[in-house]
Amino acid sequence: MSEAVYPQSEVFHTEDMTISVGPQHPSTHGVLRFVVRTDGEVIGEAIPDVGYLHRSIEKIGEKCTYHGYVPYTDRADYLAAMFANQGFCMAAEKLAATEVTRRGEFCRVIACELNRIASHLISVGTFGQDIGAITPFLHALRERETINDLMEEICGARLTYNYIRIGGVGYDITQETCDKILTFLDHFDPIVDEYNRLLSYNKIYIERLANVAVITKEEAFQYNLVGPNLRASGIKWDIRRDIPYSVYPELDFEVPVGHGEKGTLGDCYDRYWVRMQELQESSKIVRQCLKMMPKGPAISKVPRKFKPPAGEVYVRVEAPRGDMGYYVVSDGSEYPYRVRIRTGSFTAMGIIDKLSRGIMVADLIALIASLDVDAPEIDR
Amino acid sequence: MNGFGGYIKNIVETVSTIFEGLAITLSHLVRRPMTIQYPDRIPKPVQETLPLRYRGILEVDLDICTGCLACERVCPISCITIGIDMNKETKQRTFGHFDIDICKCMYCGLCAEACPTGSIRHSQEFEGASYSPAGLVRHFVTRPVALYKPKKGGETDPTMVEKVKIGQEYLDEFATPEGGAGAGEG
Amino acid sequence: MQAFVDSLIQQGYFTGMPTQVVYAIAMIAAAFAVLSFFVAPLAGVTSWLERRVWARMQSRVGPNRVGPQGILQWLADGIKNLLKEDLIPAAADQLLFPLAPYIVFIGFLCTFVVIPFGSNLIVADLDIGILYLLAVTSIVVVGILMAGWSSNNKWSLLGGMRSAAQIVSYEIPAGLAVLSIIFLAGTMSTQGIIKNQGWAPWDWYLFNNPFTFIAFFLYFTAALAEGNRTPFDIPEAESELVAGYVTEYSGMRFLFFFFAEWGNLYVIGAVATILFLGGWQVPAVGDGLIEGVLQFVVFFLKAYLWVFVAMWVRATLPRVRVDQLMALCWKYMVPLSFLCVIGTAAWMVVFPHGNRWASVGMFVLGVVILLLFFGRVRYQIRHSKPELYLRPYI
Repeated sequence: MSEAVYPQSEVFHTEDMTISVGPQHPSTHGVLRFVVRTDGEVIGEAIPDVGYLHRSIEKIGEKCTYHGYVPYTDRADYLAAMFANQGFCMAAEKLAATEVTRRGEFCRVIACELNRIASHLISVGTFGQDIGAITPFLHALRERETINDLMEEICGARLTYNYIRIGGVGYDITQETCDKILTFLDHFDPIVDEYNRLLSYNKIYIERLANVAVITKEEAFQYNLVGPNLRASGIKWDIRRDIPYSVYPELDFEVPVGHGEKGTLGDCYDRYWVRMQELQESSKIVRQCLKMMPKGPAISKVPRKFKPPAGEVYVRVEAPRGDMGYYVVSDGSEYPYRVRIRTGSFTAMGIIDKLSRGIMVADLIALIASLDVDAPEIDR
Repeated sequence: MNGFGGYIKNIVETVSTIFEGLAITLSHLVRRPMTIQYPDRIPKPVQETLPLRYRGILEVDLDICTGCLACERVCPISCITIGIDMNKETKQRTFGHFDIDICKCMYCGLCAEACPTGSIRHSQEFEGASYSPAGLVRHFVTRPVALYKPKKGGETDPTMVEKVKIGQEYLDEFATPEGGAGAGEG
Repeated sequence: MQAFVDSLIQQGYFTGMPTQVVYAIAMIAAAFAVLSFFVAPLAGVTSWLERRVWARMQSRVGPNRVGPQGILQWLADGIKNLLKEDLIPAAADQLLFPLAPYIVFIGFLCTFVVIPFGSNLIVADLDIGILYLLAVTSIVVVGILMAGWSSNNKWSLLGGMRSAAQIVSYEIPAGLAVLSIIFLAGTMSTQGIIKNQGWAPWDWYLFNNPFTFIAFFLYFTAALAEGNRTPFDIPEAESELVAGYVTEYSGMRFLFFFFAEWGNLYVIGAVATILFLGGWQVPAVGDGLIEGVLQFVVFFLKAYLWVFVAMWVRATLPRVRVDQLMALCWKYMVPLSFLCVIGTAAWMVVFPHGNRWASVGMFVLGVVILLLFFGRVRYQIRHSKPELYLRPYI
């Protein structure tokens, strides 16, 4: 539609508007910017402009000890700090061939999956808010608040956990906390159902999302989408299942994929719906872990001066925003030689320009929300 | 969605889902809110309801600090600065300064885990508002304090026993051998 | 109002003054009284109530600091906005930009001329009351378009254009829904329409026949769209257009738009009450003063119920897209409202004096729907219990 040719004259002529969406815009989730060329309501192109939240976390890694860098990784994606912790710790463990205790692995999975629930709650909540429904957002945050309370009991922090350490986890999960987690999960399942009836099945909501910004299987591959965005396009790819790490192979869980629930395969609604299903899957995983958790130490003996032998590793974890990769190079000293982080949000930015052509301004907001991009994770 | 059936189905779906949504929001109207307005207080201070592991603003009990500088070394952002003065005549070592910049601190808990006596620890305090950044630098040395020397057969000084016990309890919860990250010496 | 002034003139209170001057002074006094004693507190309290209702629906507390339960919050907000800098951007149109809020405000305030507060309490009982109402509310769109264009801001422009398209389109279903009532009442005077209904629910036009029942919901939906309320708040869509046509406004001018919006909610409810819900009709209680007060209370409560419903809808529903908004209007609401008009006309031919049984039947149907609804609410309360307190002290 943006390519339409209008009869031009001296007196009346139409021209495209260039609008800067962001960096201060209510629905760019942090400080993101899009340079949008529109013809009225219809978008010609939307070019993402990233870098407003760059904190050079990767460079800081070269100045920190391995133990000391773990709290920094929290800040890479503050909505899912646990996964960033885990990724880096797994990389360091692989470098030094450190064993992780079995209880430590279960503690990791419990904490991670709780964190995934919290992160997805934010994602679906802000999705509703971007579409204009304000109540679901606060209902989602209410549940997330309970998870934050749980996290506070597990590790003492609500957002930047620094829980997963090299060799295991920082603190053991006590039996009392396990009971509280179970109480929360029992309460959480009906809430997801209520949330669905309030927002997901709402006709206006479905109309807004179904058939909007469709990503086909091929496009999802070409643009290197990861995580829920990839699975929504119908590709069953989950690091937890396909490149197993930790104790995931022992756990029984489904990998939800998009089926074109209300519209086309790979539309905004599918991306939303995959996340809603992952909430329930994560809840299932946590329940299993609580049952299977063995006794024992939560962390193995790791020297305080952690000096892995020289070498390089690449480790991937399945974060809420998709495949999170850590590339760590060691030169045998106390400090990492290089640390690089590969995040899902950054690659998701690439496809926005292509999908935005010909959709409306309101759809662009839905598209950004559906990709669940997170500004700190994009820029790191 | 085609034809007259689709048309009617659209209307029915819209009306019924809106009906359902309205019922949910109304059901929340009659329930108690989950939040309280900030300056309002709950019966107990919030600090007392926080779990023991809560990582609030750092506090230091200088009486049991051995001056080993483990916290200063382990801190990833160097927000802890410790100066130790040596009295030439008596060979007594005292703290010149022990400052923690709360502005910089990222509450990672690494220092508390590294501490051998549980002297530096996270309090349950989190309300740290100040009028200037300088007000956020906590100075713990107000009078000359001698370095603590752990005694071989356990503490005997009655004034110190209590303090050592508090520190040890904190260490047990926060950095236990079977769960704490402080385990293992290298 | 006019009768009251006439009687004063006849009693010789204003001898020596031209009648027109007396009328003019009376009109200004009436406008002042309505604005300062009714509209301003009403819009203010509505703004507070909306925030409270939202908050409770979202498990929050909402403003509760100023006055008991925060009911004076609107005064604090008003004073704050009065004291703020009145900013006019350098690139904005220096004439239209300051003027736009007043146009919006006039469009909304003029409606109070024909909105009654009781059988005798009305500023002017115009014979073309409803037509006048539809006409003056259209002025609002001029103001919004002015605001959007003169701000010289792209977000404002988009908001203004959306608003113009939306309000103009939704005039049609709203007008058609009103038309079926005008058929039944045979008059356009607001007082006349109310007098044709009774105090009992089955005497209301809402339950007169199935078509007016549908027409009521069509009217309410269209009115929400005309009032730029969720799910049709696309002109100021916060998550898309930052703040739409009010992006560049600040201070009191900004407040005027929202003053009009919240006051407009009451107008929506009042018109729905006049047309469908029997207005101020109360059972006969004899005494003139008591009856007058009762009429005012009944009318106010009926109207305010719909203000509450509008807040409630806003807390529940997502926002529609601009093309879906148009599709909803032209594909669904316009044909349905035509159906209502034709249906009502046919009904009047079949039952020239109305059908009491049909009215009672419709009333029962309405009650059944309400009961079903409350059954659903009860189910929600039992089904999911967010009152899970890991720390049971709140």
